[in-house]
Amino acid sequence: MLMQTELVWLLGAVARGDETAFQRLYEATRAKLYGVLVRILGRPALAEEVMEETYLKVWKTADQFDPATASPITWMVAMARNRAIDIVRRQGDIAIDEEPEAAPEPAADTPAPLARREMTAELKRLLGCLGRLDPEKQRIVLLAYYSGWSRDHLANKLDIPVNTIRTWLRRSLLEIRECMGA
Amino acid sequence: MYDDDHDALAAEYVLGTLSAAERDQVEALLARDAGFAETVRLWEHRLGELNVMVEAVEPPPDLWERIKTGIDGAERRTQAASEAVEPADVLSEPADAAASAASPQIDASAEPSPQTVPDLLSDRAQGSEDSKTADIASTLLPSGPAAESADQLPKSTAPQASTGAETAPPHQNVGRWRGLAIGASAIAVLLAAYIAITHLTPGLISLGRQPQIITGALKPLAVPQLVAVLQQEPTAPAFLVMLDPQQRTITIRRLTAAPDSGRSYELWLNSNKLPNPTSLGPVGNSEVTTRSIPPNIDVETMRSATYSVSLEPGGGSATGAPSGPTLFKGRMIDAAPGSSE
Repeated sequence: MLMQTELVWLLGAVARGDETAFQRLYEATRAKLYGVLVRILGRPALAEEVMEETYLKVWKTADQFDPATASPITWMVAMARNRAIDIVRRQGDIAIDEEPEAAPEPAADTPAPLARREMTAELKRLLGCLGRLDPEKQRIVLLAYYSGWSRDHLANKLDIPVNTIRTWLRRSLLEIRECMGA
Repeated sequence: MYDDDHDALAAEYVLGTLSAAERDQVEALLARDAGFAETVRLWEHRLGELNVMVEAVEPPPDLWERIKTGIDGAERRTQAASEAVEPADVLSEPADAAASAASPQIDASAEPSPQTVPDLLSDRAQGSEDSKTADIASTLLPSGPAAESADQLPKSTAPQASTGAETAPPHQNVGRWRGLAIGASAIAVLLAAYIAITHLTPGLISLGRQPQIITGALKPLAVPQLVAVLQQEPTAPAFLVMLDPQQRTITIRRLTAAPDSGRSYELWLNSNKLPNPTSLGPVGNSEVTTRSIPPNIDVETMRSATYSVSLEPGGGSATGAPSGPTLFKGRMIDAAPGSSE
């Protein structure tokens, strides 16, 4: 298991052009990033493309990573999610009811180093704050995060007026902010 | 300073709920407003930890070679030839080709840029110089601006690192993107409910059988349909319980420290349809434990049950009922809409 400090160290080495460190960083983070992307994009081939883009971007922008303001994995996941959501949003939410490709079938016993870390204080705080929201609002926030759904898509899938979704999202996010402190 | 509208916009950008047009506006704003970029970064920090709950999935083994070829190509533009290339690297030849055919994304990286927005939008950012932050906030009010047309897509094609047959040429990728489906039926959705604990008084002793342990590790891409967070107080969730009614499995992710040696956590299903709490077995010391649901419990009971964790002697309760204190408790919440049953 790689601890966060090791990932920070690896990113520092990557910023200096260390390919070995980059490979270790990839090995420690690939399954988490791919899991996030497959969930949002649905299609393994597309998830692989975004993986390539994301790691190339990590390689090129590792020197911009600031351990004081982010953890390596959240930094990398945010990068991958942003790209995936841009792609999904740009091709429109029209195709949402099409059947996606079959889900990938990775080896059943592959290690997932980052999945084994202990819960961070930040996650505890976040879950505690999410827990204060009504269940239906927890639901839309988590659906949006994990599936990358737009407000329209949420409204469509949950059969809730989009203006209600809009109001709930805004209120929920601002409540989370207040709860977590500035 | 930024008002709530800006903060909500940044938050929704990070969450991913904005339309294509709104994302364009945010990305334009990000490129020219360092304060707003900081707001977005704060939200990435606040919400980013949710990735912990996403199941890791192994990518195909050949992906690393493709990425490595890509960075070798990128590196040659910015640095002297690397001495760190692995022996017998048959992909170094295509890498040269990839470098010379590299997309503008690689060229842009040669000069340091503080910008973190996706490069493909940088030209749009220039075009939006006039937009005021207030305009952006106001776009939240009218209902969903029309999505940008799909002609944005080709520009966003990644530098295709490898020239081998395993990677489709960019024009095919566009078609794939257009056909992208994100149907709920195949996307695993984790949902969590966070329920404040009320201490549970254990019921009377029953002779619950302990279910057989299926596997010690979570099956990749398992699709949990229902999730409960077991916690003792609102700020200290300690277990995530994920129920897959189709597979009739229950997966327990431990988010708290393992008990002292010689003691075990044990998971219980409590339902008013059953006379006594039913043991789902001790929670393993690894992060994730997956167990089967006893055959006498139907899906509806699984859904409506309350789940609790008690602290027991090593290996679990010897009595078949909770014998130690119940520390954590929670209830399942409905899951991916349209994907269950």
